[in-house]
Amino acid sequence: MTPGPRVSPAARRLLLAAGVFGPAVLLEVGLDRFVADSSVRQLVMTAAINVMIAASLNVINGMAGQFSIGHAGFVGLGAYAAAIVASHLHLALGGGDPTFAHSLVVVPAAVAAGAAVASLAGVLVGLPSLRLKGDYLAIVTLGFAEMFRLVLTSVPLDAKSGVAGAIAKLGGQIGYSGASGQGVPLYAGPLWVFGAASLIVVATWRIKFSGWGRALRALREDEIAASAVGVDPTRYKVTSFVIAAFGAGVAGALSAIMRDGIGIVQPDQFDFRLSFDAITMVILGGSGSITGAVVGALFVTFTVKLIELAQGLDAVRLFQSEHAWLDLNALRMVLYASVLIALMIRRPEGLFGEREPLFARKPRGAAPAGAA
Amino acid sequence: MSALTLGSVGITFGGLRAVSDVSFEVPAGSIFGLIGPNGAGKTTLFNLVTGVYRPTSGTIRFGDVDLVGKKPAAIAAAGVARTFQNIRLFGQLSVLDNVLVACETTRTTGLGGALGRTRAFADDEGAMRARALELLRVFDLEGVADEQPTSLSYGNQRRLEIARAMMLRPRLLLLDEPAAGMNYGEAEGLKAQIRWLRDEFRLTVVLVEHNMQVVMGVCEELHVLDHGETIAHGTPEAIKRHPKVLAAYLGEEELAPGDLELAAP
Repeated sequence: MTPGPRVSPAARRLLLAAGVFGPAVLLEVGLDRFVADSSVRQLVMTAAINVMIAASLNVINGMAGQFSIGHAGFVGLGAYAAAIVASHLHLALGGGDPTFAHSLVVVPAAVAAGAAVASLAGVLVGLPSLRLKGDYLAIVTLGFAEMFRLVLTSVPLDAKSGVAGAIAKLGGQIGYSGASGQGVPLYAGPLWVFGAASLIVVATWRIKFSGWGRALRALREDEIAASAVGVDPTRYKVTSFVIAAFGAGVAGALSAIMRDGIGIVQPDQFDFRLSFDAITMVILGGSGSITGAVVGALFVTFTVKLIELAQGLDAVRLFQSEHAWLDLNALRMVLYASVLIALMIRRPEGLFGEREPLFARKPRGAAPAGAA
Repeated sequence: MSALTLGSVGITFGGLRAVSDVSFEVPAGSIFGLIGPNGAGKTTLFNLVTGVYRPTSGTIRFGDVDLVGKKPAAIAAAGVARTFQNIRLFGQLSVLDNVLVACETTRTTGLGGALGRTRAFADDEGAMRARALELLRVFDLEGVADEQPTSLSYGNQRRLEIARAMMLRPRLLLLDEPAAGMNYGEAEGLKAQIRWLRDEFRLTVVLVEHNMQVVMGVCEELHVLDHGETIAHGTPEAIKRHPKVLAAYLGEEELAPGDLELAAP
């Protein structure tokens, strides 16, 4: 009921669109120009991809109160599907250097493929989630992700025919580097990566603050009461899995074809460590909070990088040369873990709990927050 | 015309017959009481009607609709709402959101509308909100709409459960011990509220209740269970004098025989 500045709905939509795509367009134009170091550009884009991964996992682990530890599987499926589609399209379009004009065709096709494949897997993994809860569901999701990875790594590379032959073309442990083996074409510039990250954040926001989000939270609280008022657990749980898998597929797709990426998709990029990183991001920020997922993703991405950078400092190097027994790589993980433990002791519910601190919900009677 | 028809309904859990061969008809538009001592199978019958359990034998019809084998959400969507003996509210959701959860079956826009924030979605959401607030006003909960249900008094939590059930736009409302924990005055208020609900929304109400002040004061017809079996059926006046009913209640320590008489108007 607070009398805010009156903005017409159309104007709000326009503002939102500008807020969502403005930064993406600016980065598309400016990132290459102003950030000369491609490793920094890669880091910034990786952060955006991690935001997508955390925001989508938040739909399952936060909003729906399920516990998936296999999110890397969905990301990986998206990455492989997109890499295959992108590299074949690239060849069909005549090869050469990826151009912006071509990216308008290749990126949507590759992302759609990645999202579709991941969503399909989301249905398959979502179905057992109806009967399983807590630890048991977690094991199913972990099993799915590991199956995906192990099938890719353990296929004999000399297989020529059948399913094994098709999978062997993906390069096994070594990884998939495009149809011609020249590397996956890197079409997705900042516009795509940041645009998709913004879209996914807005989409999960809108799901949270709608009847769907409300129904998911109700199911999380009390399944019997929720189904007694017409919330069908099957429909809502499976759909939440599919939504999360879709987001993870988009993230994986863009990670495979992003500019300044590495041009190769490997099974080990999608092992359980990625799943656990994703869970860390969500829990750190606060399960169910979208602000939390975004902040958690940025925090994890940059903290790991900062510790890496600190490793390269002269003072640190000097220190290590004097103490040869010191394993800096191991220490990095200890340091990272300490930061996480300290945070979780200080704030057991994560940084924001389930709240969205920058966007306090309006009192009742007003439109729900984020209804722009 | 009966709103709810049970035909020889029975259910066994393992070797235990929780309900056996129970048949009755609830006339449309009536306030119907289901009573009996603890463990008589009353709540189990509610769970059978709402699809939480599937009967081992017998038929359950809601108007023309066969309810056996339907999932709880589908039964709710068909127009059967209920409350719970042990209150089941969504603790982390606000009071208003608790009621709004029940609008999923009647809303006209789906996930697409929510993602696109279409005008239809806004209108839909606005209408649902208005209706939920109206229900909260009816149940005198308007002032606590933004609070967590756990902060409400016991009586208010029970009323919130009814408000949430009413959000479904049900034609049949099953109330499981709505007067539990209420004092005399609150129970009188509840009686008036149940009658008002029935008249205002043209409902059929089935009530499981131990509070005889409420049962005898508001029910038009009673069905009495003991150990999962029907022992009597009739008007409150007849039931009060029924020897089997008196015997069943005499066997219970908590209720003295006079309790039934005390409840006379």
